Amino acid sequence: MSHSKKASIFNKDIERTTWHDETLWFVRQKRDKMAYVIPEFQQLRDLASQIKEHTLSQLDEYLLEFERNALKNGVHVHWAADAKEHNEIVLKILKKHKAKKIVKSKSMLTEECHLNPFLQQHAIKVVDTDLGERIIQLRDEAPSHIVLPAIHLKKEDVGETFHQHLNTPKGEKDPQRLTEAARQHLREKFVQADAALTGVNFAIAETGSVVVCTNEGNADLGVNLAKVHIACMGFEKIIPRFNDLSVFTRLLARSATGQPITTYTSHFTKPRPGAEMHVVIVDNGRTQQLGREDFYNSLKCIRCGACMNTCPVYRRSGGHSYNFTVPGPIGSILSPNLDLKKHSSLPFASTLCGSCTEVCPVKIDIHVQLYKWRQQIGESNALPMSKKLSMKVMSKVLASSKLFSFSGKMGRTMIKWLPYSMTHNKSVNPWAKARELPEVPEHSFREWYKQNK
Amino acid sequence: MSAKEKIISAIKQNKPGAKELPVIPVFNAEENTIETFKQSVKTIGGEVIELASLAEIDVWLEKKFSTAENIVSAIVSSSVTISESSSTELLEKTDVAILQGEWGVAENGAIWLPEQNMLNRALPFITQHLMLVLNIENIVTNMHVAYENISSGAYGVFIAGPSKTADIEQSLVIGAHGARSLTVVLLKRAC
Ligand code: SF4
Repeated sequence: MSHSKKASIFNKDIERTTWHDETLWFVRQKRDKMAYVIPEFQQLRDLASQIKEHTLSQLDEYLLEFERNALKNGVHVHWAADAKEHNEIVLKILKKHKAKKIVKSKSMLTEECHLNPFLQQHAIKVVDTDLGERIIQLRDEAPSHIVLPAIHLKKEDVGETFHQHLNTPKGEKDPQRLTEAARQHLREKFVQADAALTGVNFAIAETGSVVVCTNEGNADLGVNLAKVHIACMGFEKIIPRFNDLSVFTRLLARSATGQPITTYTSHFTKPRPGAEMHVVIVDNGRTQQLGREDFYNSLKCIRCGACMNTCPVYRRSGGHSYNFTVPGPIGSILSPNLDLKKHSSLPFASTLCGSCTEVCPVKIDIHVQLYKWRQQIGESNALPMSKKLSMKVMSKVLASSKLFSFSGKMGRTMIKWLPYSMTHNKSVNPWAKARELPEVPEHSFREWYKQNK
Repeated sequence: MSAKEKIISAIKQNKPGAKELPVIPVFNAEENTIETFKQSVKTIGGEVIELASLAEIDVWLEKKFSTAENIVSAIVSSSVTISESSSTELLEKTDVAILQGEWGVAENGAIWLPEQNMLNRALPFITQHLMLVLNIENIVTNMHVAYENISSGAYGVFIAGPSKTADIEQSLVIGAHGARSLTVVLLKRAC
C-alpha cells in the first residue's frame, strides 16, 4: 500500500491525528530551546558532519581499526553482509551459551533485520526493555518512530494493553502508575536474562568501544546482569576518535528530545571478568548506498529522529504509514536504496519544505535527496499510475504556450461554475482534502499585463 | 569470500573521495561553571546538596532515607559489602548506593562514573536510589573538556539525573528501570 493510502487511514481519526501532530511539534520546540542555548550549536553541526564525511571516506580503515582494538580488549567481532547473516550470528552466540531468555534495549538494526521473530522461531524469548518498545511488543506492533516508538498510542491504549498483559487495573491510565507496573514486570526479566542485546549509537575506532545512549538505564541493567552482551550495529555507526564523542553527545539528545544529554551515556569497552562481549557489524545494503553519489551521505545519520518530529507530513500521517523500519524523511531516503519499487511512494511523502535539513544535527541535505529520488523513480518508471498520467498531461501543457493559456482560462472558468461537490471530489482532487480553493481572479497575469503595460 | 572481506572490498570500491578530519575546539572552556552545573542537575530531575566533608552525609541520609535498609558504598560506611562477584539477589536489595563521581559537566549535569568507582557494574542501575559524590573542583564546562579528562577504561558511564521515560504520551516519569532518584553530593573540599 502506498504512503498516501496508509496515511489516509491514519487521518480518519481526526482527533488523534491532531494530537500526534501537536505532540511531535512540541518535541521539535523543545529541541529548538535546547539547541540554541549553545552558542556554537551550528558549528557543532558542521563538525559532526565533517567527522562523519571523513569517516565515510575512510570507512574500511576505521572498521578494521575498530576490530583490531576491540579484539585486543577481549571483545568478539563478527561481520554480517545482510540481515540473514546477522540473525544467524546472533543465534549461534545464544545457542553456544544455551541462552533462552534475552533482554534487548533499543536497536533499530535488529528491527531492520527482523531479529525478534527469527529468534522466536528458534524458541528464544526476546523481551524489549525500553518502555515504548515493550508496549508495542505486547501489542504486536512495529515502532512508529525511531526514538519514541509508541508515539502513535494514547495512555488509554497503553492502559488497556497493560491491563491485558501485566494485570494493571482496568481503566488505569496514569503514566506514573503504568510505568511503575512496567518497572516491576521488567525487573523480573532483567534478573532472569541469560543474554543482553543492545544497539550501538557510536563505535569508536581508536578504542574499540561501543557507546549506547538511553534514558531508562535498560541497556546497562541488562548488560551488567547477563553473562553475554551482544551489540549490533550498522557499519555507519563508526567514528574515529574517543574525543569525537564530545561533539555527538552535545548534539544527539538536544536534537532528539530536547534534553541536554541522555540520562545514561554508556561506554562499553571490555567485558567484565567471566562475561562475554560481542559486536556484530552489519552491511545489509549500506555498501550499496555508499556507492550512490547522490545519497551516500544519508549514512551520516545518527538516528536522532529530529527530521521526523519536524516533518509536516510525518506528523500528520504517523510512522506506520511509511511501512519501513525508519520512517519519516530519512527513512524515505534509505528505503529506496533497498527496494525502489516497493518504497517508490516514500520520496513523495514530503512537501520539500526543507525543515528536516534545517534541524538535522549532521547536516544531511534530506529534502534535496528526496527530490533526487523522485527523479530517479520517474526515470526508472516506478512512478505510481496516477502520478504518471498527470505528469504526462502537465508536460504537454507546459510545453505549449497556447495550450497553457487556454487551460488557465478553462480552469478559472470551471472553478467558478463547477459545483463544490466536483471540485472537492476527493478521488478527483486529493488536494482538496481539508483545503479550500483560493478566490479565482478574473484575468490571468498575461491578460492583465497586456491591458496594463 | 568471508563477509568481512566482502564488506571491506565493497567499501573500498564505493567509498567517496578523501575528506579531512576536523580538529575539535574546546569552546568556552574557562566559563564559571559551578552555578550552571547545579542548575543543570535540577533541570534533569536531580538534587544537589553541598557538604563540607563526607562525614556530614549521615545526618542527611537519616533525613532523606531513614527507612533505607541497605546502603551500599565504597566511600562511606556500608551496610552490605558488594563486589564484582556479588549475586543479583543481593544487588537487587540495594536501597541506596553512594559512589564517587569523577567529573561533573556544567552544561548538562552529567557525571562521569568509571567502573573502578562502581563496586559492581550493575550497582548504579539496580539500586533504588543513587547518590554521586563530586569534588567541586572537578566540575568542567562542557563535554569537550570532560572527554579530554577521561579515558574509555573497561566500562564507564555519564549519568545525568535519575532514570526516566516519556514513552507514555510524552509525560515525563522519573524512575523507569534505573535509580528512582539521583542526589549529587558536592564536596567543597577534596576528601
Ligand atoms: S537524518 Fe538527521 S535529523 Fe533525521 S534522524 Fe538522521 S541525524 Fe536525525
